[in-house]
Amino acid sequence: MLSQTGSLSARALGGALLLAVAWSCDPAPRTPHAVPWGLDDFGDTIWPPAHATRIVSLNPTTTEILFALGAGARLVGRTEYDNWPDSARFVKNLGPGIRPNVEAVLSEKPDLVLLYGSGDNRSAARRFRQAGIVTVAFKVDRIEQFDRVTRLLGRIIGDSARGAFVADTVRRTLDSARALTRGLPRPTVVMPAWDSPLLVIGGGSFLNQLVEIAGGRNVYDSTSAPSPAVAFEDIVRRDPDFILTSPESAQRLKQRARWRALRAMRSGAILLIDTNVVVRPAVRLGEGAMSLVRLLHPEVKR
Amino acid sequence: MRTSRWLMLLAALIAVAAAAVVFGTIHLGLLASWRGLLGQGDATAVFVVRELRLPRIVLAALLGAGLGISGAALQGVLRNPLAEPYLLGVSGGAAVGAVLAVSVGLAIALVPLAAFAGAIAAVLIALFVAHATRSRGDPRVLVMAGVVVGAFANAAIMVLMANSDASTVRNAVWWMMGSAANATWSQVAWLALYVLAGGALLVAMARTVDALALGEDSAAGLGVDVERASRRVYLTASLVAAATVAAAGLVGFVGLVVPHIARRIGARGHRVLLLASALVGAVLVIAADLVARVALPPAELPLGAVTAVIGVPFFLVTLRRML
Repeated sequence: MLSQTGSLSARALGGALLLAVAWSCDPAPRTPHAVPWGLDDFGDTIWPPAHATRIVSLNPTTTEILFALGAGARLVGRTEYDNWPDSARFVKNLGPGIRPNVEAVLSEKPDLVLLYGSGDNRSAARRFRQAGIVTVAFKVDRIEQFDRVTRLLGRIIGDSARGAFVADTVRRTLDSARALTRGLPRPTVVMPAWDSPLLVIGGGSFLNQLVEIAGGRNVYDSTSAPSPAVAFEDIVRRDPDFILTSPESAQRLKQRARWRALRAMRSGAILLIDTNVVVRPAVRLGEGAMSLVRLLHPEVKR
Repeated sequence: MRTSRWLMLLAALIAVAAAAVVFGTIHLGLLASWRGLLGQGDATAVFVVRELRLPRIVLAALLGAGLGISGAALQGVLRNPLAEPYLLGVSGGAAVGAVLAVSVGLAIALVPLAAFAGAIAAVLIALFVAHATRSRGDPRVLVMAGVVVGAFANAAIMVLMANSDASTVRNAVWWMMGSAANATWSQVAWLALYVLAGGALLVAMARTVDALALGEDSAAGLGVDVERASRRVYLTASLVAAATVAAAGLVGFVGLVVPHIARRIGARGHRVLLLASALVGAVLVIAADLVARVALPPAELPLGAVTAVIGVPFFLVTLRRML
């Protein structure tokens, strides 16, 4: 029996291999007239759009950047999470940004689709390209990625100067925040992101960078993930000076007895993040860094 | 089964397929859908009908047919009305393969291959365990082996997911909820190959399944090599189910509920039951995928959830009448 099942499994796996090859065949990229502009965060070639006048942005970060670039009026679709700036709410809500509704996007007849660069959006990207729409996926987790994406989007909408201007303005604000806290003692913080499972902000997140710029140190700055799962006792062991978190999260933490195990909680050393400016790695990064400077170093006068 | 019942099933299949072409997030209407089908008119409408909706409908039909026929064969050969491909380790093994592929960062395109390999591995392990007990084709042992392999697979999934980042977990969870949203024509062609070949093989073995359904002793008395025959049916049915899982993730409940519905509308004997189950499954999954697309615009529901929501009430009614 064993030999029979063995040969059967070999045949089955052979069939499976063919199956996978068929699955992995991407349609060949459409080749319009021009030289590509590098790769997006899926590793796909960025083809310059002939015109980007009807843009669907399924990524809150790119929506925010497009408004800062003065291209908000070109947006014909966004996700349900794109809530900033206020005028973004007037753009049509096309639902989720992860596994988007392809038909809903096509019905807006866009000439450019900006996707959130998470692996589960790859098939949507393939679909849009198949339909002849220039599609670019970005995953912005870090400040340097914001810089690159802003310049690229400036180029895509045909206004590279504005892209460079926005990117440089944010960069300068970050530089001055860094200058304000240079030489000061660096308080350590923990940034709880989720309670169950217990997730904290790690070294892969822009928040880690902002804390660094604002003259603090994340006790989890050596982890590479943006939000690693950690054991509660490990936070206690690292003994941060402050708990840095959103007001809602702080309320929840205060109600959970175990957080009393932290010195910072017992001494009331909780810093509340201004979630209006510290949200995502986009246009408000500079403001966000400044608000963190005020929290971590109240002694600094602007 | 009476000819009128067959015609009813065919009519239902054509009706749901037509509805699935016409309805969707974009409002097309009958005329525009028909023109889109012919490749005429607005380019967006043509793309939506021919590249988005049509492959989804055909994929959904194949998923339903494959799972239905696989479930009907397994229920017969295992003599257990609760048997279905997912109960016997196919889903668990496939999920381990898929989650493993996602968490080690394999290309998304390789996930179906990993799922397929995992499913086949689980089925072979279950068969091996059952064989090692020297139970000579006792279906209870095979069911037990399948369930235990499935439980082990679930534990492995939890270990893998506990230490994965959020996007890996989301990917894996979506995969486990099943979806036809990513249907492409090449995918449809491959699944068609597995479902049609596997289905034809199972229908060809229908007489043997009839004999096996009578019990080992009676089957042996009729001259059937019980262990060999049941292993063949079991492997073929699992292979078909594994192909559907590789194509669309886990679409729950179809394999369990469809054969019961087919019996309710008068399918007797496995040749008829297998064919009727394929048709009923196709109708059910096309309908479920339509609901998944249009129920909560602009978002989509997971197909596996919708099939269960539609399938469970059907199943409960059937169960009541059986008692």
